[in-house]
Amino acid sequence: MNTPAAHNDDAEGLSVRPGAASNFPPPPARHRAFGSTLQLLALCPLLAVSDTVVKALGFGALVLVIFPLATLLLAAVRRWLDESIVLPCSLLVTAGLVTAAELFMRAWFHDLGASFGVFLPLLAVNVVVIDQLQTSSADRGTALIRSVRIAVGIALTLIALGLARELVGRGSLLSGAATLFGSWAQQLEIKVFSVDMGFLLALLPPGAFISLGLLIAARNWMARRKSTPP
Amino acid sequence: MAMPADKRNLARPTVTLVIIAAVLTVGLVTLANLTRDRIARNQEVWIKQHLDALVAPQSYDNDPLTDTIEVIAPDLLGTAAPVTAYRMRKGGLPVAVAIRSIAPDGYRGPLELLVAIAPGGQLIGVQVIRHNETPGLGDAFENRDAGWLDKFRGLSLSKPPQQRWTVRRDGGDFDAFTGATITPRAIVKAVRRTLEFYQGNEDRLYQDGKPR
Repeated sequence: MNTPAAHNDDAEGLSVRPGAASNFPPPPARHRAFGSTLQLLALCPLLAVSDTVVKALGFGALVLVIFPLATLLLAAVRRWLDESIVLPCSLLVTAGLVTAAELFMRAWFHDLGASFGVFLPLLAVNVVVIDQLQTSSADRGTALIRSVRIAVGIALTLIALGLARELVGRGSLLSGAATLFGSWAQQLEIKVFSVDMGFLLALLPPGAFISLGLLIAARNWMARRKSTPP
Repeated sequence: MAMPADKRNLARPTVTLVIIAAVLTVGLVTLANLTRDRIARNQEVWIKQHLDALVAPQSYDNDPLTDTIEVIAPDLLGTAAPVTAYRMRKGGLPVAVAIRSIAPDGYRGPLELLVAIAPGGQLIGVQVIRHNETPGLGDAFENRDAGWLDKFRGLSLSKPPQQRWTVRRDGGDFDAFTGATITPRAIVKAVRRTLEFYQGNEDRLYQDGKPR
């Protein structure tokens, strides 16, 4: 039955950003927690590029460029957008950005770009998810600062994971530095210890999740220590 | 019930979306045009590195990157798509041909090979130029067992005999990697099939010009 009330509910459920009004109050703490969980989930597809420091550095740099750029572009076009097309439009713009990044990588960092595989295009999804979370962000400046902060967080997480996984898995650091910095960087590779197979699990996808889990545990532990006085 | 107002409201967003898509398309096409030459050059450098690892550049005097032929043999080359073969000649005489065949049954998807064969059907060498094998296990030919691919040098269809052209576990002559049998099995099979293709098409592979 299509009662007026049900119709209203439907419309509410479908509208993408109900809080697009300019001076919307900040979301309650529960919403923020939900947001950070989603951000964490959005991070997961990116873990695959964290098996070496160099890949993590390269991808982190891309994230640092793409996130703020996407925020700026989306903020710029939003004033012409009807609410119903905000989501498809975000998808279009971020997909375009990511495609441009892929072309750039193939032209200037061919080998590194090839090692990213499908995960560079996948970045578009992360950008859209995180952009959708910023429903309450009022002006462009705040949105930009927030997206830079998220990007820095993602980049640092990737680099921390890359350090841990490469060290444990291969016993080296900065292997393949030439793919990012050019051929002079070949000697940058540090062989910390020599292993035959290394601790293979660290390099495989489960290793990424385990490392991330340890990282989150460490963060929570530090946060708790800070909040409870000795 | 669709109201006329709904229809009118659809028009504007549609136009906006189309305009944004058009602007993005123009931007991307421009970028693609700007980067096309660089990307093509990167691809050439990449394939040339692998060619040089197989055949010494001073042993031929043509440019194998332009002296190519596309061949199609889904059963023997592992893909229904055209496969590129790079021809190397000295003074017009054949020196080697390198075929970019596919090993379709890798552990995590197909492996792309570069198989260099001398006139007469003797293997010069094999390179794996692209793969998705498990790091640390299936990619042993890149690090742990780096000499493994070198063992193909000098082999041919009759050496070893056909029934021994497989990994040791299947009664053949080729060692597997520690912890990975599927990858070496796939490579050995693909190399053998590429040799079979070569045997049946040697003349055609060195023919001048593109096939019609």
